[in-house]
Amino acid sequence: MRPLDQTQREFFAALQMPLRGRSRASTELAPADEGHSPEFLAKAEELLKQGKNLSPAESLELYHRQYWFRLLDSIAEDFPILRKMAGEESFWSLMEAYLLACPSSSFTLRHLGGKLADFMADWEGLDDSKRLWFSALARLEYAYMEIFEAAGWEHVTPDQFATAELGLQPHVKLLELPVPADLCRDWECFSPVDELVTHVAVWRGDGGSASQCRIDPVEFVLLSRLRKGGTLASLFEDPTDREPTPEEVSKWFANWQGRRWIALTPALQSEDFPVVLHREMRDVDWSRIDKMGSQARAMED
Amino acid sequence: MSASRFTGGVELATGIGLRSPHYRHILAEKPTVDWFEIISENFMVEGGRPLEVLDLILEQYRVVQHGVGLYPGNAGGIDRDHLKRLKRLVKRTNTPWISDHLCWGSIDGSMSHDLLPIPFTFEAVRKTAENLRMTQDFLEVPLAVENVSSYGDFNGNEMTEWEFLAEVSELADVGILLDVNNIYVSSINNGFEPLEYLNFVQPERVAQIHIAGHSKYERFIIDTHDHPVIDPVWKLYERAIERCGTVATLLEWDGKIPSFEEVWTEARKSETWRESALARKADHAAA
Repeated sequence: MRPLDQTQREFFAALQMPLRGRSRASTELAPADEGHSPEFLAKAEELLKQGKNLSPAESLELYHRQYWFRLLDSIAEDFPILRKMAGEESFWSLMEAYLLACPSSSFTLRHLGGKLADFMADWEGLDDSKRLWFSALARLEYAYMEIFEAAGWEHVTPDQFATAELGLQPHVKLLELPVPADLCRDWECFSPVDELVTHVAVWRGDGGSASQCRIDPVEFVLLSRLRKGGTLASLFEDPTDREPTPEEVSKWFANWQGRRWIALTPALQSEDFPVVLHREMRDVDWSRIDKMGSQARAMED
Repeated sequence: MSASRFTGGVELATGIGLRSPHYRHILAEKPTVDWFEIISENFMVEGGRPLEVLDLILEQYRVVQHGVGLYPGNAGGIDRDHLKRLKRLVKRTNTPWISDHLCWGSIDGSMSHDLLPIPFTFEAVRKTAENLRMTQDFLEVPLAVENVSSYGDFNGNEMTEWEFLAEVSELADVGILLDVNNIYVSSINNGFEPLEYLNFVQPERVAQIHIAGHSKYERFIIDTHDHPVIDPVWKLYERAIERCGTVATLLEWDGKIPSFEEVWTEARKSETWRESALARKADHAAA
């Protein structure tokens, strides 16, 4: 009797083989003429019975395609701007290479693209002119997923500013990008401009809406300190590369408070629930909530 | 009525899956629904919209958790971090019982995001039961396992699927979430008699029943949850009720999701089938 562990390892390895034949033709991946590899077919015969209606290869193929369809659908949904900038052929080639190299390691498909930026930094399939841009763009687009599910802490009130232990809302993501990849959002096609380190904040607003904006490099440093937590005074204890003017600091704080980025650092116990603020539920974008909602979604032909 | 041991003593009638296209309608109109089933993994987050919605739903409705990522059939065991996240959610929802699938789905931390079939062997029975026992002990809430749709049988199976389900649930002492649509789908794909399966299930362990639609192809059926329930599946449901009595029944509709009213109307058809099954059961008892 084949041990359970061995059966599962071999079955899973077969699922991770590249899509071939008609199943591949049902996706956006570049077509491949060849059918299944002899290894795939042999594994199907080893593992599965001839059924009344399905051969072992057909049975394994149904699971194989479900695996790939589900991952491809999910990741394409999460990186629409990268897809537009890369173009269809390059995008799908990249996605296939990424998923072969970095299978999902999270219970949720929302995290599927978490290693994409790092993967692109070393992937030989991209030329250097695109590598930096696409990697930065992947970081930016993944930040939208991160803020979607991040905790929300209690907002700070003006009377608490001076003495409270402050923090940056977890649903504010700070990015230091090597190129101004935030511009890609407005481009019809990839049109690189001068490389310039760019600081961007992405955050979740009331009603779940996502926003992004550029921030000043010194503002970025201060917000990064706020992320670590501390009192208002502690943010300014260490020098910054450039001394901000009082007017700048005043404007930044007004913006942060207006956007409700500044929070009270919670003293959570491990079993406590994060604070969830009840808001008016009108005009809320419900998309992406049920990323795992249907195991059957990708099973459609 | 289903054995209260596996439902935390809570008796529920007809429910539907909580799905995002219906959120606005549910929160605005507050329709009368006995209970909602949520996909646990959609709400295992630190914050944001999923938990905001969930808390609003919990203010008005009974919610039962149903998972897709426990993978109790994993030879490598259960992911402890997953269990911790689940337990946090259980405390939030106060779910009377929790369910997941009798399947496996990951290797060394790599996830399939699918409900993969377990070989029906004695080794798999022992390993799966061990995983389920540990899970139920940790979560401190009754656990039910759902039979999955499958698209093939393993070489080396040492028992039928229904024998496997019975063995595992007995050994682990967990409830059963009986999905009658999945029995039908697997019976077509794998060539067995669905009533033989259904008649073997221990009625005293059935905590909940799932009904759903599917997609039929020339030589096989895919469990897509995107159509109304077909009559052969309703007949299996009727037989299940005849054997188990009134059991919490939930309609799954996950693809091409129609309006709330359409889904709810489809779910409520179960009440007619349930009544006829119970009437027939009463007739048999009287005879």
